[in-house]
Amino acid sequence: MEFNIEDLPVLFPYPRIYPEQYAYMVDLKKTLDAGGNCVLEMPSGTGKTVTLLALIVAYQQHYPSHRKLIYCSRTMSEIEKALVELKELMKFRAERLGYEEEFRGLGLTSRKNLCLHPSVKREKSGSVVDARCRSLTAGFVKEKKEKGENVDVCIYHDNLDNLEPHNLIPNGIWTLDGLLKYGEQHKQCPYFTARRMMQFCNVIIYSYHYLLDPKIAERVSKDLSKDCIVVFDEAHNIDNVCIESLSTDITEDSLRKATRGAQNLETKINEMRESDQQKLQDEYEKLVEGLRGADDGRQEDSFMANPTLPDDLLKEAVPGNIRRAEHFVGFLRRFIEYLKTRMKVRQVISETPPSFLAHLKEYTFIEKKPLRFCAERLTSLVRTLELTNIEDYQPLQEVATFATLVATYEKGFLLILEPYESDTAEVPNPVLHFTCLDAAIAIKPVFDRFSSVIITSGTISPLEMYPKMLDFTTVVQESYSMTLARKSFQPMIVTRGSDQAAISTGFQVRNEPSVVRNYGNLLTEFSRITPDGMVVFFPSYLYMESIISMWQGMGILDEVWKYKLILVETPDAQETSLALETYRTACANGRGAVLLCVARGKVSEGIDFDHQYGRTVLCIGVPFQYTESRILKARLEFLRETYRIRENDFLSFDAMRHAAQCLGRVLRGKDDYGLMILADRRFQKKRGQLPKWINQAMAEKDTNLSTDMAVSLARKFLTDIMQDVETTVVEGVSTWSIEDLRQHQAKMADETIKALTAAREKQLEDEAMAEGRRAEGAESDYEMDEDDEAELMALDG
Amino acid sequence: MSRRPGAGYYTATAAKPGGGMPLIDKNDMCPVCKMMRYLNPDMEFLINPECYHSMCTGCVNRLFNDGPNQCPYAGCHKTLRRKGFKSAFFGDLAVEREVDLRRRVNSVFNQVEDDFETLRDYNNYLQMVEDLTFDLVNGTETKRREAEAQLLQWEMDHKPDIERNRKAGREAEEQTRRRLQAEQELARQRRIAAIQEQEEEKLALVRNREAVLDSMATGGQRVQLKKRGGVKAADITTAAAASAGSSLLPGSLDVGKLSIRGLKEKKKTAAPEGPYDPFGGYDFVPSRYKVHSGLGHPLLERFEHDRAHVTGGYSLEEFTARAMFEAFAGLGVFIEDEKEVGIGLSAGEVTGMAAGIAATGHVMDPR
Ligand code: SF4
Ligand SMILES: [Zn+2]
Ligand SMILES: [Zn+2]
Repeated sequence: MEFNIEDLPVLFPYPRIYPEQYAYMVDLKKTLDAGGNCVLEMPSGTGKTVTLLALIVAYQQHYPSHRKLIYCSRTMSEIEKALVELKELMKFRAERLGYEEEFRGLGLTSRKNLCLHPSVKREKSGSVVDARCRSLTAGFVKEKKEKGENVDVCIYHDNLDNLEPHNLIPNGIWTLDGLLKYGEQHKQCPYFTARRMMQFCNVIIYSYHYLLDPKIAERVSKDLSKDCIVVFDEAHNIDNVCIESLSTDITEDSLRKATRGAQNLETKINEMRESDQQKLQDEYEKLVEGLRGADDGRQEDSFMANPTLPDDLLKEAVPGNIRRAEHFVGFLRRFIEYLKTRMKVRQVISETPPSFLAHLKEYTFIEKKPLRFCAERLTSLVRTLELTNIEDYQPLQEVATFATLVATYEKGFLLILEPYESDTAEVPNPVLHFTCLDAAIAIKPVFDRFSSVIITSGTISPLEMYPKMLDFTTVVQESYSMTLARKSFQPMIVTRGSDQAAISTGFQVRNEPSVVRNYGNLLTEFSRITPDGMVVFFPSYLYMESIISMWQGMGILDEVWKYKLILVETPDAQETSLALETYRTACANGRGAVLLCVARGKVSEGIDFDHQYGRTVLCIGVPFQYTESRILKARLEFLRETYRIRENDFLSFDAMRHAAQCLGRVLRGKDDYGLMILADRRFQKKRGQLPKWINQAMAEKDTNLSTDMAVSLARKFLTDIMQDVETTVVEGVSTWSIEDLRQHQAKMADETIKALTAAREKQLEDEAMAEGRRAEGAESDYEMDEDDEAELMALDG
Repeated sequence: MSRRPGAGYYTATAAKPGGGMPLIDKNDMCPVCKMMRYLNPDMEFLINPECYHSMCTGCVNRLFNDGPNQCPYAGCHKTLRRKGFKSAFFGDLAVEREVDLRRRVNSVFNQVEDDFETLRDYNNYLQMVEDLTFDLVNGTETKRREAEAQLLQWEMDHKPDIERNRKAGREAEEQTRRRLQAEQELARQRRIAAIQEQEEEKLALVRNREAVLDSMATGGQRVQLKKRGGVKAADITTAAAASAGSSLLPGSLDVGKLSIRGLKEKKKTAAPEGPYDPFGGYDFVPSRYKVHSGLGHPLLERFEHDRAHVTGGYSLEEFTARAMFEAFAGLGVFIEDEKEVGIGLSAGEVTGMAAGIAATGHVMDPR
C-alpha cells in the first residue's frame, strides 16, 4: 500500500498495516527530521524490520540528502533476514514506481562466512580465517608478487583490482547468499567486495561489532559520513556488547604466549636487520617525523587497529623511547614480566588504572605515554616485519591493547585480579580482568559521529534506562502496545503453589523442598495442558541442575515424561543444538516436549519458538545476575556513582529485561499464540518493568495466582483461542487496510486541528482578558508583568 | 664492571651450572643446596644484584651470615655480602637486572617534556636515553663501558638540573599519591553513604510495617472494637483514649504516630499480656439482661436428650441465649447520634454494628 506521512510518500510492501507499525513510522520520521536519537520498543512479531526499512528507504529516496542507512543486527541469520526483507521492499517499490531505483544494499559479515578461497574457507575458527586471509592479501605480498617473487596470493582478492573501484558489484540488494553466488561467478572475493563498496551503498547491514568494537570499527566504518542513519536492532543488550568490546581478560597462559610472541618479534627484527636493514630504518624515520595516518589509513586490513583514542593523541608522534624496534620489544617484555609478577599475588585485588600505572612506573619505569602508543606501535612493527603468521601474535596484541586502554582511560575501567576461579578452589588460576564499567565509552564515538541513532528492540523496557546508561539524549522514547483483535497471548504471574505457600527462587528459599515441589507441580500441570512445545527458563545453570536432580528424586520428571519429552540446554553449544533439534521434531510430530534452559543462555537470546514450537513459556524465578561477581559489583558501584542508577534498580532492570526476552521467545507474530508464565512471588512487584505490550495484556487479577488458578486461567485461554475468528473482526482493529489508515490519518489531522484551534482560541481569550485588565488599570505593575508573561507563553505555544 | 652478557642471566640456564640435574622449574629447587620446594613449601629465593644468581634463604644465611663470601655458582667469582641480597620482583631475572639498571639511569636522566623546546627534541632525548640504557643492558663490553662513562658525564654536567627534577618528580609523585588516596577515600565515603541510605530505607520500611502491626496488636484493635461498641458516639474517642490511658502503658499513646519508640515499648508490654485472646478482650456477658439456667420450652425438651443433637455439641442453653440475644438486638443503638458524630461510617455499617452490639448484648462501658 501507498500512503503519505506528512509530506513523505511511503511504499509499504503489504496490503495491510498494523496500527503500531504506522505509529512507529511516524515516530521514526520525527526522529530523522529532528536529526536526533530515539529508543523505540515494538512488540516482537509485528514486522519491525520491514516497517523500519520501508520508512527509511522512503526517506532516503524522497529527500535530496540521501542519507545512508547503517543497520546493525546481532546474528548472521538476522542480517540475512533483514537483507531479504529489503530485497522484497525494493522489488515492491520498483513495481509500484515502474522503474528500478539507483540503489545498492549490502550485508557484511566475517570472512569466515564470506570467504571463497578453497582452502582458507575450510578453516574452522574465524580468527584463523582472518589471519590466513591477511597473509594472502597484505600489501607487501602484492609488492613481492609484482617484483616477481613466488608468493601465495588469493586470486579472488586480486581480481578485484581489475574492476572499477566504485563499481565492484552492480546496483541492487545483495543478500549474503547472493553475494557469495555473485562472487563465485565472477571470481571475486565477496568479503572485500562488500568492504570496499560500503561507501557506495545506500544501505549497509552488518553486525554490531563493526560499529561498536573500536578495534574493528576504525577499520571498517571510518569512511561513513556523519549524516548516516544508524539503527541498532534487538538492542536490549547493547550496553553489554559495548562493555565486552572494551574488556579483556589476561591469564597466565596468554602472558606466556605473549612472551613467546615478543621473543619471535625479537628474532624477526634481528633477521631483518641482517637482511633488509633499510625497512627498519624507513619505519624508524617515519616515526621520527611523526608521519602517520596518511598511508596507514589506506591499509584496509592492518593487523589490528587502535582502540578508541582521543584525536589529539592520534596526531602525535610516537615517543622516542619506543621508536626503535628493539627498544619497543624490550618495552613489551618488561611490561609482560610485570604483569606476570602481579599475577602471582594470591589475593583478590581491584585497582583503578591510575593506581595501576603508578605501581607500574615504580617497578618498571614504564611511563604512561609510551604505554598509550603500544597498540599502534605494535601494528606498525608487524607491518614493517611483514609477518604473515599473524595469529601467533594474537596474545601479544591483546596485551598491547590492554596497555593502550589502561593508559588512556582513568575512569570507567577497573582492574580486578582474581587468583582463584571460585572461592573454594585450591589451585590458583589467576585471571586479570580489565573490565570496562562504562557502556558509554564504546558507544560514544557512534553518538558523536552520527546524528541519528535509533535503538530498537522487542523488549527494551524501561526505556529511560538506556539513555541514562549510554549517556545520550533522545528525541523520541516510545513503547508501542500491540493491537490485537483477540487475546493471542496470556501473561500471568504465579506467586503461590496450590498449597498457598509462596514460591520464589530467592536465595534463602530456593532449595527448600516445598518450593521445589511447588515448581515441580507447576511444571507438571502445564506440561499436561500445553499443546506441543513448552519452554522453561531457569535463572542459572547451577540452579537448574540442582532443581532437576531434586525433581528427579521427587518423581516429578517421571510425571512430566508422560506428557512431554524432556530436553535440557547445556553450556556446550553442540549438545544444545542437538537438544533443540530433537525438541523441534517432538513438537512437530505431536509428542510434545519441554525444553529446560537458562534465562541468560544461548537459547534465550537467539532462538525463536514460534507456533507449535512454543505454546507455553515458563519463567522459573527472577533471572537476577550472580551478584557476588566482583565485576558486576564494580559495575554497580560505577553506575551508582556516575549515572545515579541504584544497585537494586539496575539488577532488577537487568533481570526483567532477560525475563521479557524469554517471554518474547514464544510470540513471533500476530497469528501466533502462547502462554507466558512468570513463576516467582517477586514478579508481582516488578511487573511495571515489563514491556508495555506484555504488561497491558495482563489483568490485575492475573498477577497473583496460585498454581491451580493459573491452570484454570490457562485452560480457559486455550479453549478460547481454539475458536475460529472471522477475519472481519480482525480488520480495522489489529490491521488496517488503506481506507482504515486514511480514516486514522484524517482523525489525527482533525484532532491536531482541533487542538490548534483550541489553543488559538485560548490565546485570543487570554489576550482579551489581559487587554481588559490593562484597561481597568487596577492592578499594580507587577501583576501586569505577569500577564505579559502569560501572553508571551501563549504566543510561544 | 665485568658482567656476563645478558643472556647468561636467564634463570632457565642458571639451573644448569648446578650439576647434571634435569631442568626443574626454578621455583622448585635451590640450585645451590638442591633443596626441593616440596620438602619445604615456604622456600624463598634471594638474589644479589652483583650477579643475579638466585639461591634459597637457607643458603644465603649459611654462606653469608659471617661476612662477605664468594658466590657459590661455579664460574662466578663475585664477592657477595649478606645485605646485598633481596628477593626478586620479576620472575625473569634478566628483566630484574634491566630494571635495576634503569633505576640508576632514571635517577640521572630525569628530564621532563617541559624542559624541551619541542616535542621532537624531547623524543630525541628519550631515544638517546633509551639507547644508552640498551647498551648498558645488552651491549658488548666496550659499549657498556662507553655508556657508563656517558652516564657519569651527564650526571656531572647536569647536576643542578637533575637535583631540581628529582625534587619536582618527588613532589609530583607525592601529589598523585595524595590525589589517589583522596579519591579512594571519597569513593569509600560515597559507598558508605549509599549503604546507609539503603539501610535506612529498609529500616523505614520495617519500621512502618512493625508500627502498623504494633498498632494492631496493642491499642489499635482494641480501639476499633471499642468504637464498634460505642453506644454513645460522643464517648467513642474519649473511651478509646481513656482505655488506652488506663489499661495500657503510656507508650501505646504513640500508636497513631507509627514511631519506633512505640515498637520498643510494645516489646516490653507484650510479655505480661497473658494468654492470647482472639476477641481482643471483648466481653460477651450481656449487660441488659441475664440468662438464667433452666429456661426452656416444651417443644424443645425432646431435643434436649436426643443423641443426634447432643453429640453434635448442641445445648439447650445456646438456644435460649440466642433467643434472648435476638430479642434485645438493636436496643440501645441510636442511629441519629452516630450520624451526628460522623465517624465516617456509612449507614449500612452503622446498623450492622448496632446489630453486632446487640448480638453480644453488651454496651461498652467507657470506664
Ligand atoms: S580475499 Fe576473500 S576469498 Fe581470498 S582468502 Fe580472503 S576472504 Fe577468502
Ligand atoms: Zn639452598
Ligand atoms: Zn654469582
